[in-house]
Amino acid sequence: MRFRRTTKADPLVDDLRRVLPADRVRAASLERSIMGRDASIFEGGQAGPVCFPISTEEVQGCVDAARRHGRAVVPRGAGTGLAGGSVPLDEPVVVVTTKMNRLLSVDVDQRLAWVQPGMINLDLSRAIAPHGLHFAPDPSSQQVCSLGGNVGTNAGGPHCLAHGVTSAHVQAAEVVLMSGEAVVLGDPDGWAPGLDLRGAYVGSEGMMGITTAIAVRLTPNPPAVQTLLLAFDSVDAAAHTVSAVIADGIVPAAIEMMDKNIIWAVENFVGAGFPTDAAAVVIVEVDGLPGGVTAEADRVAELAEERGGRVRRAADDQERALIWKGRKSAFGAIAQIKPNYYLHDTVVPRTRLAEVMNQVYEIVEEHDLQVMNVFHAGDGNLHPLLLYDRREPGVMERVHAAGSAIIEASLAVGGVLSGEHGIGIEKRDFMPLMFSEADLDAQGRLRRAFDPDEMANPGKVLPTGASCADVNALTKVPEGVWG
Amino acid sequence: MSARVSLGIDPEELASCVACGLCLPHCPTFRVTGEEWASPRGRISAMRQVQDQGAAIDQAFLSSMDTCVQCRGCEPACPSGVPFGSMMEATQAELTRRRRLDWRRWGFRVLGHRRLLNLLSRLLGVVQRLRLLPSKRLGLPKIPLAQERLRATGSDVWLFTGCVMDAWQRSTHAAVKRVVEAAGAGVALPGAGAACCGALSLHAGLEDHARSLAIRTMRELEGSAPILVDSAGCGAVLKEYGKHLGTPEAVAFSERVLDVHEWLSDRSDRLPSAGERGQDLIVAVHDPCHLRHVQRAHQPVAEVLSHYATVVALDDDGLCCGAGGAYAAMQPDLAVSIRERKLEAIGRSGANIVASANPGCTIHLANAGVAVRHPLEIVDEVLDHDG
Amino acid sequence: MIGDKAGAALESFAAEVGSDDAVAVVGGRTHWEVGGSCPEETRLVRAPTGVRGFDPADMTIRVGAATPVTELDAALAEVGQRVNLPVLPGATVGGVLAVGRDDVHALGRGRLRDALLEAVYVADDGGLVTAGGPTVKNVSGFDLCRLLVGSLGTLGLLGEVILRTWPRPATQQWLAGSCDPAELRRRLFWPSSILWNGQSVWVHLEGHESDVEAEAELAQSLGCEPTDGPPPLPDYRVPTGVLEADESSGSYVIQIGTGLAYAAAPCPIPDPDPTVVALHRRLKAEFDPRGRLNPGRDPLAAS
Ligand SMILES: Cc1cc2nc3c(=O)[nH]c(=O)nc-3n(C[C@H](O)[C@H](O)[C@H](O)COP(=O)(O)OP(=O)(O)OC[C@H]3O[C@@H](n4cnc5c(N)ncnc54)[C@H](O)[C@@H]3O)c2cc1C
Ligand code: SF4
Ligand code: SF4
Repeated sequence: MRFRRTTKADPLVDDLRRVLPADRVRAASLERSIMGRDASIFEGGQAGPVCFPISTEEVQGCVDAARRHGRAVVPRGAGTGLAGGSVPLDEPVVVVTTKMNRLLSVDVDQRLAWVQPGMINLDLSRAIAPHGLHFAPDPSSQQVCSLGGNVGTNAGGPHCLAHGVTSAHVQAAEVVLMSGEAVVLGDPDGWAPGLDLRGAYVGSEGMMGITTAIAVRLTPNPPAVQTLLLAFDSVDAAAHTVSAVIADGIVPAAIEMMDKNIIWAVENFVGAGFPTDAAAVVIVEVDGLPGGVTAEADRVAELAEERGGRVRRAADDQERALIWKGRKSAFGAIAQIKPNYYLHDTVVPRTRLAEVMNQVYEIVEEHDLQVMNVFHAGDGNLHPLLLYDRREPGVMERVHAAGSAIIEASLAVGGVLSGEHGIGIEKRDFMPLMFSEADLDAQGRLRRAFDPDEMANPGKVLPTGASCADVNALTKVPEGVWG
Repeated sequence: MSARVSLGIDPEELASCVACGLCLPHCPTFRVTGEEWASPRGRISAMRQVQDQGAAIDQAFLSSMDTCVQCRGCEPACPSGVPFGSMMEATQAELTRRRRLDWRRWGFRVLGHRRLLNLLSRLLGVVQRLRLLPSKRLGLPKIPLAQERLRATGSDVWLFTGCVMDAWQRSTHAAVKRVVEAAGAGVALPGAGAACCGALSLHAGLEDHARSLAIRTMRELEGSAPILVDSAGCGAVLKEYGKHLGTPEAVAFSERVLDVHEWLSDRSDRLPSAGERGQDLIVAVHDPCHLRHVQRAHQPVAEVLSHYATVVALDDDGLCCGAGGAYAAMQPDLAVSIRERKLEAIGRSGANIVASANPGCTIHLANAGVAVRHPLEIVDEVLDHDG
Repeated sequence: MIGDKAGAALESFAAEVGSDDAVAVVGGRTHWEVGGSCPEETRLVRAPTGVRGFDPADMTIRVGAATPVTELDAALAEVGQRVNLPVLPGATVGGVLAVGRDDVHALGRGRLRDALLEAVYVADDGGLVTAGGPTVKNVSGFDLCRLLVGSLGTLGLLGEVILRTWPRPATQQWLAGSCDPAELRRRLFWPSSILWNGQSVWVHLEGHESDVEAEAELAQSLGCEPTDGPPPLPDYRVPTGVLEADESSGSYVIQIGTGLAYAAAPCPIPDPDPTVVALHRRLKAEFDPRGRLNPGRDPLAAS
């Protein structure tokens, strides 16, 4: 048999191919349909032509062509977002940055690098490692996700507790606005007069423009590091220890917590030496100069022991690596239990951790689901993982109901909707739970100052009521998106 | 629209991908293109479009599938344990059924006939010397016109010799055999029945042909002696006979299969020492995909070599070199781009020679001017001079 | 939760701002003329004051925007904490946030703009708006907080804020000498400040006693000696890039690693990119189309 090409004739595609070589504008139906999702659970997005520019000028060309045809533009990095931020709605032009993956320059003395947005987070840290530097934000997806995506979601990671999330590490960003203009927001040296446009842009989930270059701050590797594995007989004791460490005035580099279910799964999977009789473990890493590190590690151990914790200190780099391996294998371990998971992301005040975790267990039980908790406890960033098999009839309803209840419980104690994954499609309709109409309206104004016609990634973050009525039609989540 | 096509992929397997994307950087074709259709996640999504959603098998689908090197670098990277290799094999089998006129259907049949293959190879060698062939572009090595004869020396272990490698690189088998013998084992050699493991046929979707080759091979390598394999690609398939054929005999057979380095690393204390020899050798170990990702047995190579030379690791997380069986010939442009990354990593390592335990990789890298040998050829030379 | 927002004080602040005439919010008047000054007749309002909620164990604090920074600092010092705001006598929390100027410790302590977690402000229509959220990590929606810091109250009038607090270091030490600032930065792990006037360098260390001691020894080996504090800073703030190009700036102090320098004489700052200017205009038009909030002041004119 012969195999046909399935490409619709489309003047937009012709226009885009005047800007980019034909093979960097993909328009076959299959090539578009596989761009219909990211790493979130939303399926069924509809992509228009998919463009792979390699320069700022090419991105401008794509944006101009899309504008001439009245089509929206969705920027996409590696597509590992968990909130559906890069899921295309209503056949927009999808601009993928994966081919813009170069390290443009490194200034070791100034601890500054200019990177293209498609550069992979871990590739940057590897490239600068010979200089004793690294890029501090280390999302668990760091070997895949792009720095442009990190800027888009203001990504965090285990080691963002002391040094802050992506925003604190971005000095400037070159952005192509929907008008087609390219503009540098912020200043690579660190100080620019005027409003902090840079700060307003970071975390905008592709709704204010397309990042085409980023000036990132590089962090020196700490001279001393100590890693402790604390085991507890109850989740409460673990959570209270986390609060006690913070209350004691210690800001460790990382505080991660894992509950019994995930400890078991991880031990079966990689055997990191975690105590399987514990109800929860807490990994605390302190880094810096040796005096402070030792003092803080001692104090953390003391605080844990006072709360009935068993303390294991990593004796060397190998043991330290093993502990982190246990933490980082968590995702793999889950797949051994159920094929699908829904990873939630809310933040609660660190003093309320124990209380909210207990509520999470109750909620999950009520909805007859399984949960595992592995999360950034140091900044109160909960990540309850709901496990399910999507082929089980009716299970999605329960997963969504439990998710809503977890969000409500987090907000009720003064928490927030998302700590690092963003709002995207996933939490768009939860925004009114956290913000008043006036609050949302203000966010819409910020967005419109950058993108007056709302052509950048429409339909995300802001519930439709809060933006122009005429985009409602466009931003309606299509059937089947809730996979 | 035409009737829905099943690709014959197990629905459980197809459902197991959660689209997390963690496999993307481990996929050579994604690394060089940055395009989703050339990534494991994209390929799985494409398979779902066809098998679950009734999308047509079109050009875009074909190029997504055919550009896959089948290196299976995506498998160990996947936290959800998605069995990508078997999904791709099923897809290729279905595509081959549809591509009745494909040359591979007939071409790979030759591999099972040792005499014919040797004859054709010699012919090819002559044509090559007459400069009638664009060898580099086709990814061909220099094919020998005459080959030394291997002789059995005992029955402690089998040495699997295979098809193309035996026809084109028999001197490698000879070196491997000498090293195994130096470790104190008598080597048995299979007859013409075990002429081919079936790997190339399997990857090209010729399942039936692969199955008949497997049955012949098993019959030939009888008994309970370990079956040593010096080609990573063959070893991977031989180890999966149990899974593919599903019979108790096949399972027992696969359990006897060892990559030769696995076997040696358990006996490295019995190998003669190299003395001063080999000290100025800095060897970069290239991990063939079928050793690292499929057999997950790449460590022993470096371990065995480290007794004889300075071993340096490549810093590219074991990304494929682009050889992939017949891939270099079928997708030359991608194969070369993928190789480019590997060459950069080799350059960074500071090595003066590269060791590769797979003939396909050796040929592909040598075509780019890299000094590359089978690991045991390197060992053999060091030992030889000593003895 | 660290106290409830939108209490009576905030409501009456909003009512006072109203929705019609031009208003300026007055803090400690320490930076009253940064970015221009309000016309004489502008009606002045004051934000609520005082600590409205503090959970030391959570290391976040909710305060009225008119709270003096010294008062806030004293309250936090009692529990061994601090916020990353310049502690200027007379200045208010809302004032230093609206002006957005880092103090000399930005190199080690991070930028002032990252101190703000949540802001409740009065918008141009007199309504209360909440930006951000009370937790130390939050990506719920667009980051209005970063926009408000340094906006000179031209987009909204800060009423109440939640700030992230940090532990106060056990000890601290200034040193000065004549060594190479780049060398100092390379060799010391995490100095909180390095200042350089072209000849002399000042470095600030803080942290655990033994670490500060060891780092101070290292700095001494490079030619620095303990000193009481930083040098007086010249009046004009300029980007370091401009300073390097302009020799007429006279005496100056560069704040290493922050892009900021202080010059004794004003030196011409290149005009901002027209697209950046346009974004400023559009933001103002979106947030305060009638120009009634802090009229006469322009963040772009504030250096
Ligand atoms: C296993 C796993 C673990 C994860 N762990 C973490 C974690 O620890 N912390 C964390 O914060 N996140 C985590 N994530 C989520 C995800 O990796 C991050 O959100 C990441 O920043 C997304 O990067 P990306 O390149 O994949 O972007 P995408 O998913 O492609 O895009 C994300 C958003 O950014 C926008 N965007 C992308 N590129 C650009 C650009 N050039 N210009 C403008 N907008 C752009 C998109 O439109 C979209 O809204 C995890 C995800 C997975 C699958
Ligand atoms: S088998 Fe290799 S080439 Fe194919 S999808 Fe997996 S990693 Fe990519
Ligand atoms: S890593 Fe596995 S689950 Fe994730 S996208 Fe790749 S194949 Fe799918």
